[in-house]
Amino acid sequence: MGLVRRQTARTIGVARLTRGGPSSTLGAKLMRCPPLAVVFVGLFVIALGETAGAVISQLRPQMVRYAQWRIAANPQPHGLVRSAEYDDEVTARAVYSAEAGLSFFHTHAQGLGPLVIFASTVAASVVPWRRARGALYLLFSLGALFPLGYLAYSVAVLEWGRDAGIETVERYVLAPLGSAAIVGLVALAVLMVAGRRRGHGA
Amino acid sequence: MTGPGSEVWRLPPLASLLAAILLIACAEVGGASMVKFKLELTRWARSVVLARPAVHGLVGVRDVDERVIDEALVKFDAGLRLFHLHAEGMGLVIIATTMTAATLVRSDSSRRALIALFTVGGAGYPFGYLLWSGLIPFYGIQGGKVVAEWFVWIPFGGATIVAAWWLAALLGARLLRRA
Repeated sequence: MGLVRRQTARTIGVARLTRGGPSSTLGAKLMRCPPLAVVFVGLFVIALGETAGAVISQLRPQMVRYAQWRIAANPQPHGLVRSAEYDDEVTARAVYSAEAGLSFFHTHAQGLGPLVIFASTVAASVVPWRRARGALYLLFSLGALFPLGYLAYSVAVLEWGRDAGIETVERYVLAPLGSAAIVGLVALAVLMVAGRRRGHGA
Repeated sequence: MTGPGSEVWRLPPLASLLAAILLIACAEVGGASMVKFKLELTRWARSVVLARPAVHGLVGVRDVDERVIDEALVKFDAGLRLFHLHAEGMGLVIIATTMTAATLVRSDSSRRALIALFTVGGAGYPFGYLLWSGLIPFYGIQGGKVVAEWFVWIPFGGATIVAAWWLAALLGARLLRRA
């Protein structure tokens, strides 16, 4: 009796495996690995984010001194007027923004790195169209670079002044890269639904 | 669906997944507790700070002391917030990185070492913020930070950083070989 039950269970398992196609075993769908390059980009961003956290924590005094030096070297973009009280306030605000940029870089890199790996995994596993998958990988890889925009934000604040630096980086770096991630996620959702419909239709 | 030769994710060891899930659960509980017991936590921290005037440099002048106490309480709260934030993030980082190591690293010894470093480092690191926060009322902002740094952030955070660059280097080398 036990043998019959075991054999039946094995047969059901094989039947499920066959019916579900190559991405299914014992009725459970397998999650496919996206291309190595996409995983590498996600992991590289995680590594950068981790390292940035350590640098922020350990080298804060040096970073603040460097920021103050760069602001003093660029008096015009920062609107310094050689009045100690006013200049100190302007410098403090710019240093704060530069530090905030580094902190955002650290937190966003830790978040977006895994997100890119997981989202690409979903794309690899459920999107049936090769070109669509390729486009999604490209969008996610670009989106993974979004945290680097905050690194550019920190540098731009120091070199071009607080407002001009933030505006430029937001417009030309953060918005395009962030949009790539958003478009990728929305497109993934649409393609998941379309792929499901196509599966049902077939 | 990714064509011939494509790989399927391999499950990382159960211990790594458990560590990640427990860490995320701790983060959620930490976040909820911060909101629910904010007043009690602040009162407790304030009472401990007041009981140790020498540690915090309190001089008995209300205007001066209140500023010092406020700064200690802000950092105490920041430590709890950073624990919540990092524990949520590191939980996901552990899952993503151990899954990557389990699937894409060929050498057994490297794979085991990477998974151990990611799991132990990632799970331990966020607790440094909890430790720092708990130590601030007793040992001051800097005193607490030194302990958290040497006992948690540097060893556990260092383990994660080493593992992240090691894995990135292995994947990068594999990409180059393929190219």
